[in-house]
Amino acid sequence: MSVPSGPERPQVVAHVQQALPFTLFDCKWVPRSARLLCLGSAARGTGLIHLYELRGGRLALLSEIEKTKPIKCGTFGATSLQQRYLATGDFGGNLNIWNLEAPEIPVYSVKGHKEIINSIDGVGGLGIGEGAPEIVTGSRDGTVKVWDPRQKDTPVANMEPVQGESKRDCWTVAFGNAYNQEERVVCAGYDNGDIKLFDLKTMSLRWETNIKNGVCSVEFDRKDVNMNKLVATSLEGKFHVFDMRTQHPTKGFASVSEKAQKSTIWQVRHLPQNRDIFMTSGGAGSLHLWKYEYPAQRSKKDSEGAEMGVAGSVSLLQNVTLSTQPISSLDWSPDKKGLCVCGAFDQTVRVLIVTKLNKV
Amino acid sequence: MPVWLREYSWRQSPSAVYLSLPVRGLRVTPNSIFCTEQYLKVSIPPFLFEAILYAPIDDTNSTAKIGNGIIFFTLYKKEAAMWDSLTLENATKEKLQCLRENAVLKAHERAKEETEAKKVTKQEHKKYALEATMKLEEAERKRIEDLKEKERLKVTKELELWKKQQQDAEKQRRAQKEVELHQQVEQLKEKKKEKIDKTRIPSEVTSKTRLKTTRGCHGFHSIFSENLKEEQLPAPRSAATIKVNFTSRVFPTALRESRVAEEEEWLHKQAEARRTISADLSELEDLKEEEKNPDWLKDKGNKMFATGDYLGAVNAYNLAVQLNNKLPLLYLNRAACHLKLRNLHKAIEDSSKALELLRSPVPDNENARVKAYVRRGTAFCQLELYVEGLQDYEAALKIDPKNKIIEEDAEKIRHLIQGTTQDS
Repeated sequence: MSVPSGPERPQVVAHVQQALPFTLFDCKWVPRSARLLCLGSAARGTGLIHLYELRGGRLALLSEIEKTKPIKCGTFGATSLQQRYLATGDFGGNLNIWNLEAPEIPVYSVKGHKEIINSIDGVGGLGIGEGAPEIVTGSRDGTVKVWDPRQKDTPVANMEPVQGESKRDCWTVAFGNAYNQEERVVCAGYDNGDIKLFDLKTMSLRWETNIKNGVCSVEFDRKDVNMNKLVATSLEGKFHVFDMRTQHPTKGFASVSEKAQKSTIWQVRHLPQNRDIFMTSGGAGSLHLWKYEYPAQRSKKDSEGAEMGVAGSVSLLQNVTLSTQPISSLDWSPDKKGLCVCGAFDQTVRVLIVTKLNKV
Repeated sequence: MPVWLREYSWRQSPSAVYLSLPVRGLRVTPNSIFCTEQYLKVSIPPFLFEAILYAPIDDTNSTAKIGNGIIFFTLYKKEAAMWDSLTLENATKEKLQCLRENAVLKAHERAKEETEAKKVTKQEHKKYALEATMKLEEAERKRIEDLKEKERLKVTKELELWKKQQQDAEKQRRAQKEVELHQQVEQLKEKKKEKIDKTRIPSEVTSKTRLKTTRGCHGFHSIFSENLKEEQLPAPRSAATIKVNFTSRVFPTALRESRVAEEEEWLHKQAEARRTISADLSELEDLKEEEKNPDWLKDKGNKMFATGDYLGAVNAYNLAVQLNNKLPLLYLNRAACHLKLRNLHKAIEDSSKALELLRSPVPDNENARVKAYVRRGTAFCQLELYVEGLQDYEAALKIDPKNKIIEEDAEKIRHLIQGTTQDS
């Protein structure tokens, strides 16, 4: 399948652009609606959650919630479609779950970490996948903790450094492989280039590797299937796509890597409607839309007869520069194909529409 | 002196004169013909034909046909009258001269005008071409912009449509839920009719009031759904810890490939600095102040060498090297000691180290480098590695060609080598 060129390529259309009065760290679509959330930090050091609705050609502010600590990240991944509770991690290491209708008191709250929670992910909610809803947080204190909203105060899994070992900041976490009630893995990326895959069923380290640059973002292409692909982005403009179907006993997973640009790649997000298309956002304010193509044979035997994976190839569908500041957060709408929101450090949130994704 | 062409023939009509000029064998180009209103000249060096015409002619329209060894002129008269002869008969030399000059001037002017006119037209053409290309590019750009606009509008419309669909779907869902809830409340009411419990009623009332608010009904319904779902969900995982080891990194900053080389260098330097400091601390606590100075130690070593105490000299130099391993002279002098002590391998090592430190070929270094080469050469020779020895001697000679001793020694070694090769 060849990549279309010329007028058939997907176009990134900037639909709405809104300047915000605070620093934006994360932006998320509210599932099953045309509303989006912006999470960040006000100038006076408090946390802000803004709820906007897409109306005509602009964003209308529906509500504004202020909290004591700046909020770094949030997810809807672990709530049901009816409740739509937002789980957030803030600068003080607190994990909170909010009911946006009644945001004064959190539904669940725990001081999970000693330092800022850099990244959060949820699984088991929104009608996707099976198993208990769980939230994973990764923090600067080097630990990765998995929480169950039904269990107070203690995490159900804790991945912490060995006693006496100096800690490395955990920059990103992601759930994956949640295809039945027991199986689940957590992938964590650290600032020294380590990527570690923890299996929650066996409570052990399943795989680790080092990609030579600090890992900014990891994401599985689908959380709720047998793990298929993992994209890890890093500093220095590189990203790696790992084929997670075949694990070789010593060589691990096969991967293909691409250097997209000179600056950090802050985020990667897969299109919910097509798991082979993903978008990366960069430190120079650019967005790149990529398509992964599978090789003819996904696995082959090596000299000793052990199975090893074969990585495919990645091709660039489109790229666009929207801002001069890094685009730090990116989210596809799960309801409308091609609709996405991105937030940049120039305090603007942009709603974009990517066209012609059906033809890719 | 030009050769005049005088054979010509002509005839005339009331409006034109037809002149035929034979030019057998001559190469005629359009430049050879010069014609103005009353003067006609054909110049093919060394041949020349000129005629001062009887009456003025229209020189722009007149033609000249060149071919078959003849130039055929068709000259259109300005005034339609019959000429008595082709040329003016009584033309004096001065008149001829004048006429010629005028003719030339006129020709010049005409030429100038023509070039001006050409320039102007050329400019206009260029401008036109430029404007045309600009228009084309503009059109192209507009076309692309329009395409993009169209896409945007289309997509915006789609979005609005989708939103409407969403809202309609939500309304429907809510309506459905209200109906369901109503039914459930009815059921509860019936149950309560059996058991009159006062505490239950207020909660029912509050739940009913919450029905009015849009989200409240969600809450009520969701409690039901949650209870149901909780039965299906597995219990929370049993807590466990996984211990993690990190790829070691000295620096607290994030790892970047482009910085790795710098970081390695920095670490290396730190390690070296630490080594010298730690070496100092362990052994040298009971030394006097002056003994910690490498230069003082070097002098001591030199003195001992002079008196023949080679071992003592080596010790002094060793200590000096521990303190400062970047001074080439220490290695140089130690090499000399080792030579005397017949520690030939050590001598080679030290001279090599000295040469490394003396890498840049400046005149100050020359002396030291010569010495280093010579010492190393000597050590090689004493180990019977004559070829290497000769190499070093030749290097020394290159630096200092005037040194007789080195030359003689080099010669000796060459003989030795040749001697051995002849034998074998």
